[in-house]
Amino acid sequence: MAKSYLEITQDGLWKNNPALVQLLGLCPLLAVTGTVVNAIGLGLATMLVLTGSNIAVSLIRNFVPESVRLPAFVMIIASFVTCAELLMQAYTYELYEILGIFIPLIVTNCSILGRADAFASKNPILPSALDGFMMGLGFTLVLMLLGGIRELIGQGTLFTGMDLLFGEAAKSWQLTVFEDYPNFLFAVLPPGAFVGMGFIIALKNIIDNRMKRSAETKKEAVTTGSKRVRVTGTIS
Amino acid sequence: MALLQITSPHLRGKNRTASVMQWVLLATLPGFVALTWFFGWGVLINVVWASLLALVSEAAIVKLRKRPVMFYLGDYSAVVTAVLLGLALPPFAPWWVTMVGILFAIVISKQLYGGLGSNPFNPAMVGYALLLVSFPVEMTTHWATPSSLTELPDFLSTLQYIFGGGNLNIDGVTMATPLDTYKHQIDVLTREEVSQLPIFGQHVALGWEWVNLGFLAGGLLLIWRKIITWHIPLSMLAALAVCSLVLGWDPDRYTPVSIHLLSGATMLGAFFIATDPVTAATSRLGKLYYGAGIGILIYIIRTWGSYPDAVAFSVLLMNFAAPFLDYYTKPRTYGHRKAHRGIKKSD
Amino acid sequence: MRQIWDFHGGIHPPENKHQSTRQAIKNAGIPQYLFLPLSQHIGQPAVPVVEIGQRVRKGEMVAEAIGPVSVPVHAPTSGTVIAIEDHQVPHPSGLTDSCIVIETDGLDEWTELTPCEDYEELSSSDILHRVRQAGIAGLGGAGFPTAIKLHPPRNDKVNALILNAAECEPYITADDMLMRERASEVIGGLEIMASILQPEECLIGIEDNKPEAIAALREAARETQIEVVVIPTKYPSGGEKQLIRILTGLEVPQGHIPADIGVMCQNVGTSAAVYRAIRYGEPLISRITTVTGDAVAHPGNFDTLIGTRMSHLLTQAGFNADKASRVLMGGPMMGFALLSTDIPIVKTTNCLLAATDLEFPQPQPEQPCIRCGMCAEACPAELLPQQLFWFAKAQEFEKAEMYNLFDCIECGACSYVCPSSIPLVQYYRYSKNQVRTTKLEQEKSDKARERFEFRQSRLQREQEEKEAKRKARAEAAAKAQAARAAEAEAAVDPKKAAVAEAVKRAQAKREQASAPLADLTELESNVQKAKDKLAKVEASLQQAEADQSDMTDKLRNAVAKNRDRLEFAEKALADARKQSSDSDNTGTNTPPQDTEQLQRSIKRQEDKVATLKNAIEEALKSDPDRAAQLQPSLDKSLAKLAELKSALGTNSSDQSENNTPAPDPEQLQVQVDKARDKLLMMQGMLDEARQESPSDDAKVTKLTRAVEKNQERLTAAEKALTDAQQQATPVAPKISAEELETLRTNIDKARDKLSMMQGMLDEAQTESPEDEAKIAKLTRAVEKNLERVNAAETAYQEAGGEIRDPVSQS
Repeated sequence: MAKSYLEITQDGLWKNNPALVQLLGLCPLLAVTGTVVNAIGLGLATMLVLTGSNIAVSLIRNFVPESVRLPAFVMIIASFVTCAELLMQAYTYELYEILGIFIPLIVTNCSILGRADAFASKNPILPSALDGFMMGLGFTLVLMLLGGIRELIGQGTLFTGMDLLFGEAAKSWQLTVFEDYPNFLFAVLPPGAFVGMGFIIALKNIIDNRMKRSAETKKEAVTTGSKRVRVTGTIS
Repeated sequence: MALLQITSPHLRGKNRTASVMQWVLLATLPGFVALTWFFGWGVLINVVWASLLALVSEAAIVKLRKRPVMFYLGDYSAVVTAVLLGLALPPFAPWWVTMVGILFAIVISKQLYGGLGSNPFNPAMVGYALLLVSFPVEMTTHWATPSSLTELPDFLSTLQYIFGGGNLNIDGVTMATPLDTYKHQIDVLTREEVSQLPIFGQHVALGWEWVNLGFLAGGLLLIWRKIITWHIPLSMLAALAVCSLVLGWDPDRYTPVSIHLLSGATMLGAFFIATDPVTAATSRLGKLYYGAGIGILIYIIRTWGSYPDAVAFSVLLMNFAAPFLDYYTKPRTYGHRKAHRGIKKSD
Repeated sequence: MRQIWDFHGGIHPPENKHQSTRQAIKNAGIPQYLFLPLSQHIGQPAVPVVEIGQRVRKGEMVAEAIGPVSVPVHAPTSGTVIAIEDHQVPHPSGLTDSCIVIETDGLDEWTELTPCEDYEELSSSDILHRVRQAGIAGLGGAGFPTAIKLHPPRNDKVNALILNAAECEPYITADDMLMRERASEVIGGLEIMASILQPEECLIGIEDNKPEAIAALREAARETQIEVVVIPTKYPSGGEKQLIRILTGLEVPQGHIPADIGVMCQNVGTSAAVYRAIRYGEPLISRITTVTGDAVAHPGNFDTLIGTRMSHLLTQAGFNADKASRVLMGGPMMGFALLSTDIPIVKTTNCLLAATDLEFPQPQPEQPCIRCGMCAEACPAELLPQQLFWFAKAQEFEKAEMYNLFDCIECGACSYVCPSSIPLVQYYRYSKNQVRTTKLEQEKSDKARERFEFRQSRLQREQEEKEAKRKARAEAAAKAQAARAAEAEAAVDPKKAAVAEAVKRAQAKREQASAPLADLTELESNVQKAKDKLAKVEASLQQAEADQSDMTDKLRNAVAKNRDRLEFAEKALADARKQSSDSDNTGTNTPPQDTEQLQRSIKRQEDKVATLKNAIEEALKSDPDRAAQLQPSLDKSLAKLAELKSALGTNSSDQSENNTPAPDPEQLQVQVDKARDKLLMMQGMLDEARQESPSDDAKVTKLTRAVEKNQERLTAAEKALTDAQQQATPVAPKISAEELETLRTNIDKARDKLSMMQGMLDEAQTESPEDEAKIAKLTRAVEKNLERVNAAETAYQEAGGEIRDPVSQS
């Protein structure tokens, strides 16, 4: 059960990615990834909450009785989400307004409760913290990717509105990839998000299959190579 | 002598999927000709461009699925989808509109669901709906003015315009559709005034009426050839007409039934789109319900919805219901007392 | 014009019948060999009745029917049976089956036949018997024994007897030609069948593409009630269910046969065969077979002997083996492909189709289903072939079954119309097989589960039985042990055995004469009552005699009666007394008896003695006779008392030993202690009484008596204890060294206590002699301890230990 830190990292980022493999937390994923900045904003908030709640749950894991563990975890998560919300309200008000209801809805993000129950409640603090951080990071990366695709296809730009998150200097980050782009509304709407998600998952599966096949061929090569070596006699 | 060991039956009829599809294409010709006559070359260009893209994209996907390309292309189903989509689009729709539409239709709505026969939704209509939602401007403002009203650009100019070049003054040659016009103008003008508008011509709707009549003729041909049955077109048109007569009997407030039936994509939808066998209900009674549902939905969306033409959405909505209709309209098998309903095992 | 109905669906494939109807029926001749499969019908295969080497004549039965659903096989021509072996038979599987091989001799010699000029002379059962013996099975393709079919179950009424002359399948024209040339035989057979079934109407359903046959039939049926109904040409109107629907508008309910709705369908070929069988006595030995297809040069119909190899027939028709891509038996829609042409013709072979590649091209690859629904339009069974196809593809066979998969007649109309060239019928066959296999496996696993559960319950039952037996055995063993222990003890002491025996006897007697003991007092009172009555009556008699009244006689009778009653009561009392005294003597009154109970009876007896003694004394004073009367009873009582006392003595010993089947010297010890304590207490009370109130003689006497009694009791108990201990020792196992040690320590302890008590007593005597109570108490304590030491030493000695200077001796 105890996983190494490397394994935890790999799980969170690739093998057990909450958005691409576990398919958890799809609601915010599909709703707020219209632009990259929205995606990053929510992703960071989720990451913060995930890490914090994992640590907290891991701290109390031996004291919570089995029957009330879920309400206890949700309370912890809700507290962290409130913190995140208030932070956003204070420091990134416009983004807070744009994300709207989806910040408090981080509480219902199944991946957070899922990690709390599946990992943090059974593992010590440091692995839990790492797990939370990596899961959150994996989630955020997917959000960013999808957000980028949707922004690109839907609006023809990238990194619009980054100043909402990173301050005035970030305004210059905006890239206009296509001039005079007729906005492809479909990509901005949720159906486009679904289709984009589907393609990203397909891409991940392709990569996984390729990696598996190359690993298999390597294994075959190794086995076919190691045969008994003749140590005596002539080889004609 | 090596005798073939093969099981019965040994005789096959002459029907082929390809021939079914070819007949469908043939049946679109009258309407196609009318469209080109009245609304310019844009329709032809769109259709050809869409067909090309459809074949290419289907070939690509079939190759990715590691199947024989020509075998799957040879059933003409991609071409039919492309033609139907091309006929439904505005004549001056830019090339990328058509491209996005047909790619989405073929690749995502048809092939990614498993290819011909496995798609739950009508691909042409999925593409159309996508375009309507994504590019509202291009889809509503690029309808051509009927040729009897204005000089439509020639083939080359149209081609140039569609593919993003040329110097066509688009505003001079575009006009709202009759449905759109009536719906918006009746709030302001009286019926007599509205009917005076040039778009409506002498009869029902200038140009559009002939287009629809053309498609009606094609549809009747298909019924005669037993490619489709009469159930869906009849029930759809009847439902639309009845709704219009009952609910919208007052021409001062609602679009009259003649405009409903003879303008827009009504006939195209009734005979070519709704009857798509893959996505429609299969039993006869089911077909009747299916068609009626489409007709009612068309009326509702046209009158109270925000879209001028509603065939695409109605068809897609009834595609949802088709399996359900199938389960509850199974025919009674010989020797059984009554038909089985639903999907649970009966005793 | 008779009304006809239509059935749903159907197709119109090209008929291709003209090729084989150009010429009349030809005779196929006699081949050199005939191969007769034993199973050419539905039901049990026939069993050969000929031997290899036997010569058979034409029409002779070579294999007989076994069981009701079976038909015999006859030799189609004369020849010699050269083998009965496995040979390839016409079946889609291409497998072999048992065949009788006849080498023909070309003589075509008939066997004896039993023709019948007028079938009406024969009874129905006779006709059926002849039909069966003629080996007639359904020639339409299924081969169901005709005799069975003509005998509907439960003797259902047949409303419509239909002859199936539709022959809807393309290429086949055998029935057509038969009707054209032998219509009279067809009609004749129909009449015979009608005579058996007595239907309301007889119909012949024929498609309109056979005008000549229609005319011939109509001509032949001119003077009969048979109606020739022309139906539109459509495939598959020749299907039984479809034809019934067309002609009668009725549908055969699912899972039933046409006879259940009062309809019967027969093939025209069968009908003709029935006619020949009854009229001429000829068994079914030949049939008309169409040979057609582009690979034969001269297609046509041949009257073929059953068992002719197909190659013979095909050669006659000009078969071109190079051109042929497939040879089908049957039509193109439902016929099956043959692997070779050496296969024999059987009773159900209606057509041989030698087709070229052009004629029947190879099937195209399957394209995706476009859900066009044309298959549902064409299906004559009104199924949803499309859905069945989707389910078969998805391996959802239960759903397919739900959609009435088994109603499919595999006619092939659906796959004929399918634009995507989907082999629908093959999917359905596959699904049906899967469903059948699953059902079989389900049955097997159900049976296996049943067997397992039964085995489990059987094992459990055996377990329980074992348990019960073990318990019973244990109880029996315990009982036996108890009985044996009792017997063992009885064996040790013969007196005790005698006592036990007497106890048993008395118990039995007591059970026999249940009343006496309890009713002793009652009897005594009865006697007394009788005596009183007698006295009264005698007195009144005397009075009457004195008064010379009329009542004297009555009174005299009364006196006599009362005297008898008194005697009877006295006798009963005497008997009861005797019994009770007997039982008392043997001590069985109280078999597992306490000494106390005996003592009680002793006391009673003593009281009785005392009373008697007083009575005697008084009587001596007043009534010497009465005294004399009473004396023997006194003696008796004394004797009884003595016996009781002796019994008590023995009983005590008995008691102590009777008490030790579950021997418990400890219990006796307890009793002893109790008796001792009581004695000491009584003694104390006596001393007190003597000291405090010496004048109270009664009290003193009473107390003295009580002390004496307790003394006796104590001695008795002690004796019992010692006896028990003596008894226990030989039965008890050898006392271990540890126990010896314990006894030794007991002795030491008792001795210490004794010395201590003695010390205390001496002290009290020296220091406070006036405290008599204390002294008395201490004296008693000393005595008690002395006893205890004695007991301990005795026990130790009995256990085998040595005591150097036992206290008991001092």
